Amino acid sequence: MFSYSLKSLRANLTRFVATSLAIILGIGFLAAGLMLTDAVRVGLTGNVEQRYEHVDLAVVSSDMTVDISQLQGIPAAYVKKVRSHDGVAAAAGEMSAVVRVLKSDGTVGNLRTMGRNWIDDDKLNPLELTKGRAPKSDNEVVLSVDAAKSAEADVGDQVDLETPIGPRTAKVVGISHFGSADALDDGGTVSFAESTATEVLNAGTSTVDDIILRASGDVDSLKQSLQKSLPTNVKVQTRAQLIQDVTKSSLAFIRFLRPVLQGFAYLAMFVSGFVIFNTFSVVVTQRYRELALIRAIGGTPKQVRRSLITEGLGIGVGSSAIGIVLGAALGKSLQLILGKFDLSLPGNGVKITLGTVILSMIVGTVVTLLSVIVPAFRAGRTKPVEAMRQSAVDTSGTSKARAYIGGAFLVVALGLLAVNKLTKPHWFFLGPGALLLFVGLFIAGPLLARLIGKLIRPVLSLTGLTGRIAADNVVRNPKRTATTANALVIGLFLVTLVTVSGEALKTATVDQLNKLSSSDFIVASESAIAPTLVDKIDKVKGVTATAPVKSIPITSESGQVLYISGADFEKLRDTTGIKITEGSLEEVTNGDGMASADYSALGGSGGSSSQFSRIGESQTFTTFDGKSITLTISAMFEAKIDSLFLGDVVSPQTFDRLAGDKPVSQIFIRVEPGKADEVGPRLDKAIRGYTSVQVVPGNFIGQTVGKVFDFLIGAVNALLAMSVIVALVGIVNTMTLSIFERRAELGLVRALGMTKGQVASMVRSEAVLMGLMGTVIGMSSGVFLSWILVSSIPEVEIGLSFNWARVGLIFVVGLLVGVLASILPARRATKLDMLDAIRSE
Amino acid sequence: MSFQPNAFDPSSQPVQGHAQPQVQSPGWAAQVLNGYKIYGSEDSEVRALNGVTVGFESARFTAIMGPSGSGKSTLMQCAAGLDKLTSGDAIIGDVNISRLNEKALTLLRRERVGFIFQQFNLLPVLSAEENILFPLTLAGREPDKAWMDHVIDTVGLRDRLSHKPSELSGGQQQRVAVARALVERPQIIFADEPTGNLDSHSSAEILAFMRNAVIEFGQTVVMVTHDPVAASHASRVLFLSDGLIVDELLEPTRDSILDKMRNLGG
Repeated sequence: MFSYSLKSLRANLTRFVATSLAIILGIGFLAAGLMLTDAVRVGLTGNVEQRYEHVDLAVVSSDMTVDISQLQGIPAAYVKKVRSHDGVAAAAGEMSAVVRVLKSDGTVGNLRTMGRNWIDDDKLNPLELTKGRAPKSDNEVVLSVDAAKSAEADVGDQVDLETPIGPRTAKVVGISHFGSADALDDGGTVSFAESTATEVLNAGTSTVDDIILRASGDVDSLKQSLQKSLPTNVKVQTRAQLIQDVTKSSLAFIRFLRPVLQGFAYLAMFVSGFVIFNTFSVVVTQRYRELALIRAIGGTPKQVRRSLITEGLGIGVGSSAIGIVLGAALGKSLQLILGKFDLSLPGNGVKITLGTVILSMIVGTVVTLLSVIVPAFRAGRTKPVEAMRQSAVDTSGTSKARAYIGGAFLVVALGLLAVNKLTKPHWFFLGPGALLLFVGLFIAGPLLARLIGKLIRPVLSLTGLTGRIAADNVVRNPKRTATTANALVIGLFLVTLVTVSGEALKTATVDQLNKLSSSDFIVASESAIAPTLVDKIDKVKGVTATAPVKSIPITSESGQVLYISGADFEKLRDTTGIKITEGSLEEVTNGDGMASADYSALGGSGGSSSQFSRIGESQTFTTFDGKSITLTISAMFEAKIDSLFLGDVVSPQTFDRLAGDKPVSQIFIRVEPGKADEVGPRLDKAIRGYTSVQVVPGNFIGQTVGKVFDFLIGAVNALLAMSVIVALVGIVNTMTLSIFERRAELGLVRALGMTKGQVASMVRSEAVLMGLMGTVIGMSSGVFLSWILVSSIPEVEIGLSFNWARVGLIFVVGLLVGVLASILPARRATKLDMLDAIRSE
Repeated sequence: MSFQPNAFDPSSQPVQGHAQPQVQSPGWAAQVLNGYKIYGSEDSEVRALNGVTVGFESARFTAIMGPSGSGKSTLMQCAAGLDKLTSGDAIIGDVNISRLNEKALTLLRRERVGFIFQQFNLLPVLSAEENILFPLTLAGREPDKAWMDHVIDTVGLRDRLSHKPSELSGGQQQRVAVARALVERPQIIFADEPTGNLDSHSSAEILAFMRNAVIEFGQTVVMVTHDPVAASHASRVLFLSDGLIVDELLEPTRDSILDKMRNLGG
């Protein structure tokens, strides 16, 4: 029997190619996701290991709860302190900021080039010189190999840079590389002498990101003695801890990416399952006489069953293997495509692990086997006598039981959802209701297929007899039609759900956010806004008021980290319109008074930005430099979007006394009424050349959130497109096989004078009709569930705002799937040999 | 052995030369002239038709007989425009169909040729009436109501018109097929083993219908069969062997056919 399986596999190769395609696509996607994320992980961790190869201990900010440790940094003074500590062989602070190297034509070489300070200790410095020397004076830099190449610069040349403090020209004194790679950073590295780095990268602020050091003696005892000698706002870490922390923060996005990618891959596999099940069912029907012959000449049902399962196994194993290869290619090309958009992922394309291969093989094979089992058992029940009968078209109808069960599921589902809609929304009704709706649709699928077929029949009849015959053909085997359409239902249901409910949530959220926005523009920087730029912005035509703000993090008595900002409140009021809701500004402007944002207006639990509950309370705060100050809360102001960037506000004088001369980190801007569109480009022009400085419109949070929603909806839909493609393969399959089954009929109509064009249009109508069924069921259930879902979200009043263009687009895509799926079968139907078809056996 | 090697003297051919696409032939509903049908390549070539020349007279019931592999089905298919001759001409009415393209050939079949097959004769999704009207519907022509009623009553299907083929017996299905062939009043009807799947009673009925159509309506019918009883309903029987017409019999009986077959076989 095994050789029979092999031979029938080989004999029906083309037929199985389509089946395989479904698995290959699903597994390819699964494997690509795994390989890519593996590669990224290896890329990141390998990098970190190498980077801190000779580091024994590191001093980092103790507050790791806030993922902006780089912003707060560690006072540079600590570097000297650590260096002079007993048992420290060498120590260096690390500094970094975005710096761009301009090409000779004045364009930016790479957007992701990083500026770093050159570490003088050869062992601590992850970079090595391939040429030239280390940077010493103000205008000297070392470029990484790739940065030098992109700028076409060599040792001795001058290069133009964009830095956080504006454009700057520097002399290249050396070329560096990082281990076997060109640079530590994806976009290349520009290294400055330490003094220059403080000025350029940190805009004069004497802080470093962290301090790395080598021990001359015992590492453990050094760690303890060092920790004792340093303030508690920093902690000493071992190399292992440092690598772990750095890895963890850089891997954060993979930890999110991996399960998402896998989730969609499994969904694609689920859809593939439908396609495989369907194909095998048809194959069994088609080979009915052949199987009956095997039974007649003495094959047991078990042997027949086993031969089909063996075929499934062969297809599963083979397709999974091909899928893995496809996955590798997919991952590699994705990497290349992203690279073209300056979005290259870390790591080297794809990383193939044994685990990935095994998992992909198992998933692909198991899904195939599961899908084959039912058709195989049906094949086992073939009666020997069937061999003597004429082969006929499979017209198994819908069983009554199936209709009743499916109907019952749907009724219960609608009931639960209705209860959810009419009474207080509760997940108890919503969850099971949604699940039952889906299961019910699947079980009642054949019934729905027949219903839709019946409804569409008069419409298609208008196009003539061929249209009507097409409608009748589609519902001839409603079970098969439903299974085929269901593959499309899953995809389009999810696409619709994501799009419609996503759009509704987006509109509601963005509306809320826009109500809270106030200033016209905000100029913000990750590190600093140079004083020259502050002046420049003040003079931009159309700007009526600016409010420069300086901020630092401080620690409250309870150990909580807050942001405190120094700003002239009058200016803040002019630019943002934020009003005082309680207390007075007297103490804020003239003394050590503090103003906090009043969150109670936003609803929820209330409270304020400073956690104070009453005006007049005071508390002592400590900066990261160890300075402390006692502040009294004397005013509360409105909580608007701009408030979020302010934290608690003190007067500029109080701030300077506390934090020293810090650079400005953001500027709120008010422009002449109605001139925002003109002033925006002028502001963009003003900041040109200053990296890490951005101009954002006042309602940018609304815009950003809207964009994030758009991106998510788009990304999820792009991934769901995978399952739609698999569904397309399914329709092609079903159509091709059903044409094979009906070749006698098609031969007859050709003999009776149906032209090839008419035959093709009939077959096309059938495929389009199947696409239409999947689309209608998928979309209507998706829209329905979105409506229930969105109205179930409490607190916010959300209307189901339809983006008709998008909904229309989904509908068109669904129909297009049908049209695309019909091309091949239609061609095949017209190429059928008429004589073969009607030849009596 | 007294049979004529060629029942049709080439000199008496109604067609002069192959160059004329339009042929005047009042007496012939369909002809095959010097028809070859060769399958396979040189080494293993099979000559299903080996230079056959034959004409089917209008308003006559002609049967084609011959042993398996004699080429009788091939001859019918080529004459009917279902298949193409390797060389030679096939003519329906006054049109040389060897020169027609696929589309024109399909339209010609639709207009001028009726078919009755052994099986797969009806479309399962259509009712009996729709099946009968199918060729007319394809052509977009309105049926001649009186004629249609006459045909339907002749084959006795009046009370079965709305039934699907699956609800009809084998004999009834074949009656639908006969009605379908008759209703479009084609120049010629080709029937390929029309009684092959039927019991003797239904067979007799179907053959009677075809014969009546020839006598009453002046319909031309060509039937391929290996059943002497079926062939005896025809007014002329052609015997085919190795791709050539080897004998013919006019106004045959079952016994005269059996005699001829014995002679040919011997």
